[in-house]
Amino acid sequence: MSNPATPPRSLAEALRARDDASLAVLLRARPDLITPVPTDLTQLATRAGTRASVLRALERLDRFALQAAEALAVAGDPAPYRELLGLMAGDAGDQVVAAALPRALGALRDQALVWGDDDRLRLVRTAREVLAPSPQYPSPTGLGPTVREATSGMSPGRIQEIVAAAGLPSTHDSVSAVDALGKLFGHRKKMAKLLAAAPAESREVLGRLVWGPPYGQVTPEPAAHLRWLLDRGLLLPTAPGTVVLPREVALHLREGRAHREPEPAPPAVEPTATHRPQVVDATAAGQAYTALATVEELLKDWDEGGPAVLRAGGLSVRDLKRTAVALDVPEPIAAFWVELAYAAGLLASDGEADERYAATPAYDEWLDRPPAERWALLAEAWLTATRTSGLVGGRDAKDRALSALGPGLDRSAAPEVRHRVLTLLAALPEGTAPAAESVLARLRWERPLRGPQQRDDDLRGRLARWTLTEAELLGVTGRGALSAHGRALLGAPAAEKAPAQPGGPGDKLPVHHHPHPVPVLEPLSPPEQATATANAGRLLAPLLPEPLDHVLLQADLTAVAPGPLRRPLADALGVLADVESKGGATVYRFTPASVRRALDAGRTAADLHAFLTTHSRTPVPQPLAYLVDDVARKHGHLRVGAASAYVRCDDDTVLGEIMADKRAAALRLRRLAPTVLATQADPGTLLEGLRAMGYAPAAESAEGDVLITRAHAHRTPPRTAPEPVPDGPPAPDSTLLSAAIRAIRAGDLAATAPRKPAGAPVSGGELPRTTPAETLATMQAAVLTGDTLWIGYVNAEGTASQRVIAPIRVEGGFVTAYDHTADEVRTYPLHRVTGVAELAEE
Amino acid sequence: MPRVNGPLIVQSDKTLLLEVDHERADDCRRAIAPFAELERAPEHIHTYRVTPLGLWNARAAGHDAEQVVDALVEYSRYPVPHALLVDIAETMDRYGRLTLSKHPAHGLVLTTTDRPVLEEILRSKRIIPLVGARIDPDTVVVHPSERGQIKQTLLKLGWPAEDLAGYVDGEAHPIELAEDGWALRPYQKQAVENFWHGGSGVVVLPCGAGKTLVGAGSMAQAKSTTLILVTNTVSARQWKHELVKRTSLTEDEIGEYSGTRKEIRPVTIATYQVLTTRRKGVYPHLELFDSRDWGLIVYDEVHLLPAPVFKFTADLQARRRLGLTATLVREDGRESDVFSLIGPKRFDAPWKEIEAQGYIAPADCVEVRVNLTDSERLAYATAETEEKYRFCATTATKRKVTEAIVKRFAGQQILVIGQYIDQLDELGEHLNAPVIKGETSNAQREKLFDAFREGEISVLVVSKVANFSIDLPEATVAIQVSGTFGSRQEEAQRLGRVLRPKADGHQAHFYSVVARDTIDQDFAAHRQRFLAEQGYAYRIMDADEILAES
Repeated sequence: MSNPATPPRSLAEALRARDDASLAVLLRARPDLITPVPTDLTQLATRAGTRASVLRALERLDRFALQAAEALAVAGDPAPYRELLGLMAGDAGDQVVAAALPRALGALRDQALVWGDDDRLRLVRTAREVLAPSPQYPSPTGLGPTVREATSGMSPGRIQEIVAAAGLPSTHDSVSAVDALGKLFGHRKKMAKLLAAAPAESREVLGRLVWGPPYGQVTPEPAAHLRWLLDRGLLLPTAPGTVVLPREVALHLREGRAHREPEPAPPAVEPTATHRPQVVDATAAGQAYTALATVEELLKDWDEGGPAVLRAGGLSVRDLKRTAVALDVPEPIAAFWVELAYAAGLLASDGEADERYAATPAYDEWLDRPPAERWALLAEAWLTATRTSGLVGGRDAKDRALSALGPGLDRSAAPEVRHRVLTLLAALPEGTAPAAESVLARLRWERPLRGPQQRDDDLRGRLARWTLTEAELLGVTGRGALSAHGRALLGAPAAEKAPAQPGGPGDKLPVHHHPHPVPVLEPLSPPEQATATANAGRLLAPLLPEPLDHVLLQADLTAVAPGPLRRPLADALGVLADVESKGGATVYRFTPASVRRALDAGRTAADLHAFLTTHSRTPVPQPLAYLVDDVARKHGHLRVGAASAYVRCDDDTVLGEIMADKRAAALRLRRLAPTVLATQADPGTLLEGLRAMGYAPAAESAEGDVLITRAHAHRTPPRTAPEPVPDGPPAPDSTLLSAAIRAIRAGDLAATAPRKPAGAPVSGGELPRTTPAETLATMQAAVLTGDTLWIGYVNAEGTASQRVIAPIRVEGGFVTAYDHTADEVRTYPLHRVTGVAELAEE
Repeated sequence: MPRVNGPLIVQSDKTLLLEVDHERADDCRRAIAPFAELERAPEHIHTYRVTPLGLWNARAAGHDAEQVVDALVEYSRYPVPHALLVDIAETMDRYGRLTLSKHPAHGLVLTTTDRPVLEEILRSKRIIPLVGARIDPDTVVVHPSERGQIKQTLLKLGWPAEDLAGYVDGEAHPIELAEDGWALRPYQKQAVENFWHGGSGVVVLPCGAGKTLVGAGSMAQAKSTTLILVTNTVSARQWKHELVKRTSLTEDEIGEYSGTRKEIRPVTIATYQVLTTRRKGVYPHLELFDSRDWGLIVYDEVHLLPAPVFKFTADLQARRRLGLTATLVREDGRESDVFSLIGPKRFDAPWKEIEAQGYIAPADCVEVRVNLTDSERLAYATAETEEKYRFCATTATKRKVTEAIVKRFAGQQILVIGQYIDQLDELGEHLNAPVIKGETSNAQREKLFDAFREGEISVLVVSKVANFSIDLPEATVAIQVSGTFGSRQEEAQRLGRVLRPKADGHQAHFYSVVARDTIDQDFAAHRQRFLAEQGYAYRIMDADEILAES
């Protein structure tokens, strides 16, 4: 506070009194206030008071600060700190609440939702409107209107009756009567006395209304116990048949508390289990490796033509199912991996006409990096992505299905919630796994929902749940606890033994500044995040299993890789054998088909033997070696090729002659067997070629019979005979004639009728002049009728001209028209058109 | 770092890979055996599978989720996915929420420790006809006759009930083990003890590990009339022979209830076949179950138990039931019925451990590939689909190879096993060996078996009738020339023929003769995989190598 002597009279003044650091706090919390940057503090204050901005700020308050704001909304305006404390801590003066209140108030002040010093606390008017109770939006406090508000439309006579019934001295001034009534209700002792006299049933009615909603229904002839309450103003009518419990009465019954349960402290994140940090890190690292393998497997699966892109964008349900089966995971998990690869830029649509998903060039670069870096890239992409795979399979507001990789999956809150959840995990001691429910409860406290929304349905809750699952899948957490590399990813210090005390220069607050009890790790800026990610990768690297260069071969024709394999080895083995089981190890099975696949890929039996011997820790089992030889023996035994014609002859010397003949070169003959030649030329060409060489070949049918070629007449497909074409049109009948004549006469009459020239008469060289309204109307009419107009036009250089145009469209201050003068379609701004005239008919 | 040291790798499909050569492999095996089923046991890495049934088996045996999770976390090389641990805890938690017990006033009742579960299952249409009045919010009466039904149904609903309703003692009958010059092996004793303690259940032992003796031991423990259900008549005789030899029971106390004889004695051995015979839509031999007040029912080869027997078993829940098997894997997938009707797994000995103790012989498995002759290949290619197997399985080359192998092991006890009688007859003729097939009378069979046991004949040709439960202790070489289409059980049985402990510590040999590039080879591949998964090293040889040697 720069000058406590003169209390500020407006928010703008209050802001003006704040120092730069404190303004920085405000602007950091409410960045919408500086987009665009306001010109002065008055403008800042105005903007801070707009409904949208206030709502946004209220949504970001924690539960206790919100409760404090709600209490201020039902308190006087301005309200002294004492009153607020009373509303929050109650008559009994809850010590915990009292201790926490300054912090909450500080937060409200920081955010410029409350201004004024402790004697005159003012809630920003918009916030007050939003939070104050009204019949349409009952306040979260469950409090009704004040006596004054509730009696505003009441007849003075009725007020007098109530005052009298409540045992107050009568006064003819309604205003002071209402004040007296309000004071009575606010006076604890007197009020207790008044209520002590109430019938038990009446007290029961009050008990039902006390915590809200404060409204009740009454019949036109209320029962005696209701009558008793109505008579004394303890219930006041609001509308026919409806009564309300005035705020003062409710506060008395609540012992002054605005909230049934003030929640001054955030609920603690409950641990469920504690593991040794090494176990957590190792488990997370194992999962991290699985994540890499899964993404790799996914994209390998899509290597040769991934699934098609739906017309509306995204992956079809069937393709997602197929992917899930291929990855051997449930569909939501498959959606997660797909989205993760997408977020990390490893896969995208290929943009071809027949649009498909495929790996990006970045994927190939990614593959070449060391595993830890690969993981870090995925983890960072996940942490900062707004896309949320958890939504896949659900429906959007317009009831359209949300598909993986499709539109509508972005949730701007996602990165913040992910970061927050992990931060909460980071605040636990190392190796401690939290109970998911307590994490959710904590998040609900930090960012409560206003209004009666379903608890399980809120987006942040779902995001938090997904975060916990996804963090485990990705290996950010292990056995539920945050791993060391996960901690590094957040930019948190390696191991937090005690919560850090935030206290930079930016935290200087005007009054009631207390250190924040929750260590808040702000999401990092991109360069900071890059450093943090690199750190995480460095921590993870030694934990990842070292790729092996050997396998164990067994007599049951399996190979077991007792860990991840070096890539070339894994690739080669993937061709030579089928993967049977995955996990920490990989089990490969050799089958005749898999060995043949390797032979097809160009390996020889000797190659394969050498490969197996080199990479096996154990001697190659005899059955496996036998299998390789056995398959190799048969490989290529049968040869398949394409030919379009053949020559066969029982006398192989004739075929030898043909092959030796130079003229046969053009036929490209190849000897398949002593008695068979094959060629790529068609049978007709072959026949002619052989005939030209002096042979007398006969054509053969597919069955081997000799084809007899006979000249046969050429025929068209079935055709109908042409219709006769008469010379000139048929003679019209009399009906047609009379109708035609009538039409011609009507047209003639219309054309020859005298016509008044439209618009002002124009002489050559002078621009037509009309008012803009007229111009617009004429243009619009011309669009409808298709008429041609004559306009005067001033171009951007100020040169005037006349043009003849046929308007096509008039919209947004422009007319689009066919310009007869220029002989093309042009667009003119209407404000440059000086006037318009219809063309005189020729 | 401790994490790279574990012998166990947990896979995402809930299989566990155990590195056998790891120094802590044995501890780990012991820790995971209660809840994980050994699926494959090749030479380096064994695969276990964690299933709900396995987890419930563990619960029934008194293990809790914490022990399971601890075992996984303790031995795992890589961190165990959190989701898997949660899943295990949740699955195990489902067992024991419901218990069947005896109420002094109301008889059989179903009690819950978790009321919503009871509410949930009482809403199921399948449960409603099985239960009676609700005694209190946590207890409901169960019709005593539906004890098996309700257990089966509850398991299907995912809430397996713990059966604490106890057993009737049955008619007492003195039975003692006659341990003269022999004794129950330690693991057999343990199996009997576990079974008796658990009340009912299944004992899993590899072929040749002496399951019959576990049965005998349990009978001696029960000391009551016993009904033994076996797969066929030969097996019934085998049981009888063994029981007379190993226990105080005499020939007269043991009855055989089969197609040929219908004796009901204090100990009765019945075949599945006779029980499941239907006449005019009814099972005429069902009265056997009620003919005496049986105190113990033994099911031999539980994995082959025919479906109708499950139905009868559902009505026998008040009697003690012992299941014996080499594997809990059923080709028809009815493992859950075994769990709910006969009982949870009570004992399971890893094959390797028993082999290491010297109770089963190590076996050398060889697949010999023969080439079809050109004319056979043509015949094979043109044969009808259903005839194809016969064509390739009975190729003449197999005979030559078989002769060569027999010659190579001359002097040892050799079994030649096949499916096609013509082929077997021809082999018998060429090898100058007797043939046992379906039409051979039981008396003749036993005579031949005895002669083989005594070493009077060294080569025996048998058809698939010999697949089950006959005991040929001195066979050291088995040659399989044809078989049913790649059945895993069959393979286990055939291997069992040669795996009995050998007096002289000879290595056992198991030859499969297979026609190359035919469906015979495809079937063989299936069986070989089973062999390899059971931990038998096997080799593939070309017929030419065998023929060249001889």
